[in-house]
Amino acid sequence: MSSREDILQSIRRNTQVRYEKPDLSELEKEAVVYPDKVKQFCDIMKLTGGRAVVVESGDDVNEIIRRQYPEARRIASNLMSIVCLGKEQKLACAAFHPDDVANPGDLDGTDLAIVAGRVGVCENGAVWVQQDVEQRAVYFISEALVLVLDRRNLVNNMHEAYKRIDTGEYGYGVFISGPSKTADIEQALVMGAHGARDVTVLLV
Amino acid sequence: MSTKHSRNAEKFLKDKEQVRWHDQTLWMVRAKRDNMSRQLPEWERLRDMACAIKMYSNSHLDLLLQEFEKNAQANGAHVYWAKDADEYCSIVYNILRAHSVKHFIKSKSMLAEECGLNEFLEEKGVEVVESDLGERILQLMHKKPSHIVMPAIHIKKEEIGELFVKEMGTEPGNNDQTYLTHAARKNLRRKFIEAEAAMTGANFAVASTGECVVCTNEGNADMGTSQPKIQITAFGMEKIVPDRESLGVFTRLLARSGTGQPITTYTSHYRKPRTGGELHIIIVDNGRSRILADKEHVKTLNCLRCGACMNTCPVYRRSGGYSYTYFIPGPIGINLGMLKAPLHYFDNVSACSLCYSCQNVCPAKVDLADQIYRWRQKLDGLSVASSSKKVMSGGMKALMEHPHLFNLALRNASVVNGLPQWMVYNGLNDWGKEHDMPQFAKESFNEMWKKNKIK
Amino acid sequence: MYENQNRNETMKVGLFIPCYINAVYPQVGVASYKLLKSLGVDVDYPLDQTCCGQPMANAGFENEAHGLAKRFDRLFGQYDYVVGPSASCVVFVRDHYGNLLAEESHRCATEEKIYDICEFVHDVLKPASLRASFPHKVSIQNSCHGVRLMHLSSPSELNVPYYNKLRNLLSLVEGIEVVEPERPDECCGFGGMFAVEEHAVSGQMGRDKVQRHIDTGAEYIAGADSSCLMHQNGIISRNNLPIKTIHVVEILASGL
Repeated sequence: MSSREDILQSIRRNTQVRYEKPDLSELEKEAVVYPDKVKQFCDIMKLTGGRAVVVESGDDVNEIIRRQYPEARRIASNLMSIVCLGKEQKLACAAFHPDDVANPGDLDGTDLAIVAGRVGVCENGAVWVQQDVEQRAVYFISEALVLVLDRRNLVNNMHEAYKRIDTGEYGYGVFISGPSKTADIEQALVMGAHGARDVTVLLV
Repeated sequence: MSTKHSRNAEKFLKDKEQVRWHDQTLWMVRAKRDNMSRQLPEWERLRDMACAIKMYSNSHLDLLLQEFEKNAQANGAHVYWAKDADEYCSIVYNILRAHSVKHFIKSKSMLAEECGLNEFLEEKGVEVVESDLGERILQLMHKKPSHIVMPAIHIKKEEIGELFVKEMGTEPGNNDQTYLTHAARKNLRRKFIEAEAAMTGANFAVASTGECVVCTNEGNADMGTSQPKIQITAFGMEKIVPDRESLGVFTRLLARSGTGQPITTYTSHYRKPRTGGELHIIIVDNGRSRILADKEHVKTLNCLRCGACMNTCPVYRRSGGYSYTYFIPGPIGINLGMLKAPLHYFDNVSACSLCYSCQNVCPAKVDLADQIYRWRQKLDGLSVASSSKKVMSGGMKALMEHPHLFNLALRNASVVNGLPQWMVYNGLNDWGKEHDMPQFAKESFNEMWKKNKIK
Repeated sequence: MYENQNRNETMKVGLFIPCYINAVYPQVGVASYKLLKSLGVDVDYPLDQTCCGQPMANAGFENEAHGLAKRFDRLFGQYDYVVGPSASCVVFVRDHYGNLLAEESHRCATEEKIYDICEFVHDVLKPASLRASFPHKVSIQNSCHGVRLMHLSSPSELNVPYYNKLRNLLSLVEGIEVVEPERPDECCGFGGMFAVEEHAVSGQMGRDKVQRHIDTGAEYIAGADSSCLMHQNGIISRNNLPIKTIHVVEILASGL
């Protein structure tokens, strides 16, 4: 008999009481909500070690990015343009498309990656990024990361977030909440363990 | 009267400064956890729901695992089932061999620790690189984790500085945490890029979608799996959750409970292999299905491996992870060790004052202290109960069952001016190591009552 | 004088004095008796009581507690309430006797009517005032079993509103200043035979706990569990520390 069958049989033999699946609707109803989602998201982003920048009408996103990362030279993005408050702005600061490289390892040395976030979660600063390039390494390997997020896609909590992504067919997706970090040496918090050392969420 | 745990703890406690640091550092994590929990009015209901989902999923493992398998296969993943540690290790090795993998990068997996995967692969000539910073430090030091979430919590930065001079060419004497972390970042970057296969564990496996969810702060699971074409993900079968709706509950609890963050930096959902790549998923039993039949201990399968019970445990904080003989320390480790092999791991059962704090912090409401109490009742039946404790307990019983003896002892107690023999036996010395003896009253309550002195 | 006094006279309370209180802290028993009497309760002390069985059970010898549980159940069967000055012993009876005595044909179900004395005064007698005066600063010893099993106060781990029954009772005492230590309900390290088997950890926990009580500036550590106090007292005495221990009941009965 296969291990699969062995294991399933052992499970069936040993399972005692079968418990009901709980109804989460009460919890989801009473889960935390924020009167001012943009403000809450900006506050929580600071706590994650990153930041959120609210793009106002008339702001030039290229300028905001350059001001935030003046040293960045190798800038990767798959975005041609960014729609800010209904107006499309051409993304001019990116130097190359992440899928232009032959191997994911070639992305090492990327100073900045600019990618799209789909949902932002106000309770924890997490931004849902769904794989939209071949080389998903770009989300992690760059020294800094800009996540572009439509502020209308801010949700209060993870319950709401999973409802929003529930219909998506994706091969890979990740919630990113601020910069990569570790406290493995004497619990001292250090940004930039393996992923981006710095994260900015642009709320457009 | 001692156990391996109590003897190891006594050694750990000799370095007062280290104990103070260990206790305070982990208490700080507990305090951060408290602070996080208080920001959510629905916190206690979240815990109730997490427990209820686990009770559901762990009692429907046969159905949920098959659903997971079907969906994962539809996503293009290869799914394997491993009965035990050997089978799990062999499956990993066979995948690596089939692709001639020489460089293999891993993110932290307690399952791999449980099954001895690294040792197995290294014996076969595969270079295994741990990518979690703490795990990498320990791997280079040839040491084991002392905490499941903060594996190198017991190592001082000076030791790490010295290690990195040798292993990563850092400046001698520079023990700054940021400097050392960034040196490791640079060093491991090469390892990620040259690896031919990457492996992760899983925090959750979602039956309805066939995806595996991995939570890290460093981003090492994603750095690993976004470089080579071969990805292996293995999980203990109790990691299954029914759907993404449940993920909403668990992702809110895990990091808040474990490290006091609102969520881990990365919560990665692996669903399909990368284009031109392969995704191999291994479902591991290794004793878990047997636990399903044990009504008194089945709730250990609720465990999310968040580490909150260690951080709150007053004994763990003052005795360190190495004082336990099972590879998972603290309250959950005491219980998992007993479920694994009671005759090997009974020494840890003493490491509990039954304060019940662990039960209150557990996000999935594992009845940790109640289970330790129940294990204690079983030690005698396993013939591993402490003989001196048994003598003490038996002596007390004999005395307490005979009120005239008890009263006699009470009358003599103050004459002895120390604990009477019935209360202490050979335990006397050990109490005396830390405390002075209680002073016995000249007259016991019984005597006062009989003499009508109490009005 | 007390609003509930007349009503209380109709209840018959069996006073449960745990073994080590009988031997080491009889004054806690005396204070318990006086306090209950002063609140108008009909108190009786059944002789021949010994031990509830907790020390054996927590050490892993529940079977040895069985005979004691049987004795206890019989000895206290006739009372409306069983009340004792030890949260830990009381909660052991409450939580374990049902299971320990499940096979017994004759049951008095003492586990359903047993109370810790502080709990009993707070929840059942509910006096609006007390005659007590204690012009000192006391730091509350929130004991593990009192907090997490008996719910005498809100456990620090849970997201529930703050409450503390010991603080409520103590605040009825004239002249007293009540504080709680940092880490208000961390274990002091007693844990029965744990204190002997794991003496090194237990001792460290005890020293840490006493220090946190001292850091509040209190003169007394006041608790509802004499076992925690006995352990901390041993630490205080060994290290000549500037603080004393006292049972909450002794404070509540201080004017009697």
